[in-house]
Amino acid sequence: MTSALEPVSRRRFVAGAGAAATALSLTRSAVAASKPRVIVVGGGFCGAPSAQYLRLWSDPQIEVPLVDLRPKHVSCVMSNLVLSGRLGLRRLTFDLRELTAKYGIDFVRDNAARVEGRTGRLRLENKGWLGYDRVVVSTGIEFERLPGWNSRVMPHAWIAGWQTGLLRKKLQAMPASGTFVMTVPKAPYRCPPGPYERACTIADYLGRKAGVLGARRSSGGTPKVVVLDANDGITAERETFTRAFEELYGDIIEYYPGVHVESADSAGLALETNLGTFTGDVVNVIPTHRGSGLARRSRLLADSHWAPVDPVTYESTLAESKGVHIIGDSQATGQPKSGHMANAQAKVCADAIIRSLSGQSPYTHERLANLTTNSACFSPITRDEASWLTAVFAYDLPSGQMKLVPGSLGEAGDWNSQSYEDMFTWSSNLFADTFG
Amino acid sequence: MAFTASRRRMVGCAVSFGIVLCCPVATLGEDATIDRLLASQCAQCHGTDGYAVGDIDELAGERFKDLNEDMRDMQREDRPENIMDHQALGYTEEQIRRIAAYYAALPEHRSGEE
Repeated sequence: MTSALEPVSRRRFVAGAGAAATALSLTRSAVAASKPRVIVVGGGFCGAPSAQYLRLWSDPQIEVPLVDLRPKHVSCVMSNLVLSGRLGLRRLTFDLRELTAKYGIDFVRDNAARVEGRTGRLRLENKGWLGYDRVVVSTGIEFERLPGWNSRVMPHAWIAGWQTGLLRKKLQAMPASGTFVMTVPKAPYRCPPGPYERACTIADYLGRKAGVLGARRSSGGTPKVVVLDANDGITAERETFTRAFEELYGDIIEYYPGVHVESADSAGLALETNLGTFTGDVVNVIPTHRGSGLARRSRLLADSHWAPVDPVTYESTLAESKGVHIIGDSQATGQPKSGHMANAQAKVCADAIIRSLSGQSPYTHERLANLTTNSACFSPITRDEASWLTAVFAYDLPSGQMKLVPGSLGEAGDWNSQSYEDMFTWSSNLFADTFG
Repeated sequence: MAFTASRRRMVGCAVSFGIVLCCPVATLGEDATIDRLLASQCAQCHGTDGYAVGDIDELAGERFKDLNEDMRDMQREDRPENIMDHQALGYTEEQIRRIAAYYAALPEHRSGEE
């Protein structure tokens, strides 16, 4: 159980006064600072709200450096609409430096090399060592290696940004009745309905482009969207996506469950699988996920390739990782991996850290009995219709896990234009609460 | 440096409203930060501290009775039909009361806004 934080000597970051400055590797006997320091690494859907709420809820009495190599974060949420041409990438791009002004967060533009839990230091690639009282690792995912795969030729577009733009360009350039091949990674992966949503939005886009969907019909060929799913079936909103695949896109989408992609021939735009070779005009490979590179280098991952944490605090349960919290896609509590859920975890984590730093336990019966998170999302199914999915999780004391609350899991089972509009309202609020 | 979790909210609510009885609040002695954490889970859809963007219900400053009863009504739906019906089933009556009390105690508008 976590008790009140023991007094820890603060290790100060010696900022480079000019490029030649050398950051010192400081020991535990370094000069004490006036405020506790909680470093947040990664400015995405869990990192950004972590930093905000650590400041908001501490009055603000915690120093919060936010470390990210990129000052702007591009949202994966809603990014499938960029692929279909319904949204521009700029609308999904958020400048993390705006958090500094609003919440007094220190933006540190650098790459985090590793967390050294034993000594309470974070190694930055350029600026050296940075000591902390707590660190929050919010660095997303890494992909498992796939032999022959080149993401510049077969984009994943599953970490939003230039990859999204690249896949969009390839879709625009492909022949009207061409073939789009995509893979669905083995669960667990980021955004359970996401790949199926992508299949629908791209089927709609290509179908309209080819004139086989929409008001303007032509006699050209029918495009194909080939979905190679590593899982035994659709993993989220099964009823909704099964109906969409069959009823809306029966002539376009070909769905294959139980597919293991063994290698990629990037030059030939082909995938070798247990069901044979699949080729396409555009190939979108979304490989199997694992915890982030930073988590891996910092030895925060278990054999499962995900980071085991205590869901009461999101603190690592591995030895020598006390004071290291991992939230969002890298953690292994079993809650779905999504931006909405990452935001939820950020608040639980921030609250736990503040309590610990102020000498209060995060393990009071009252807190454990009222510890919840939730997930909700909308998925575009057609050009102007969407479905939704939602669930609430609560801490279960006997098992020490977050468990789905009965009755709270729901899916739309259908799609409509009201949900499409609601999707924009939901995402606007999620973005505002996440990025300030 | 130590800083204390806030237990001030309930007292502040009573003082600023001047009348305790018109504003059903969480039982004195409850940890107000737990209300805050519970309520923060609504922010992903309803905005930070219930100050929403766009066409969705704002929660901040709404009447406790309305917030509490609306969520309880959603729980009693025979067939949950939308996201909120399912979300409401994720919470106990007690948690709904605490969430409603938290938002009811907030000003209707953020400071500096109309």
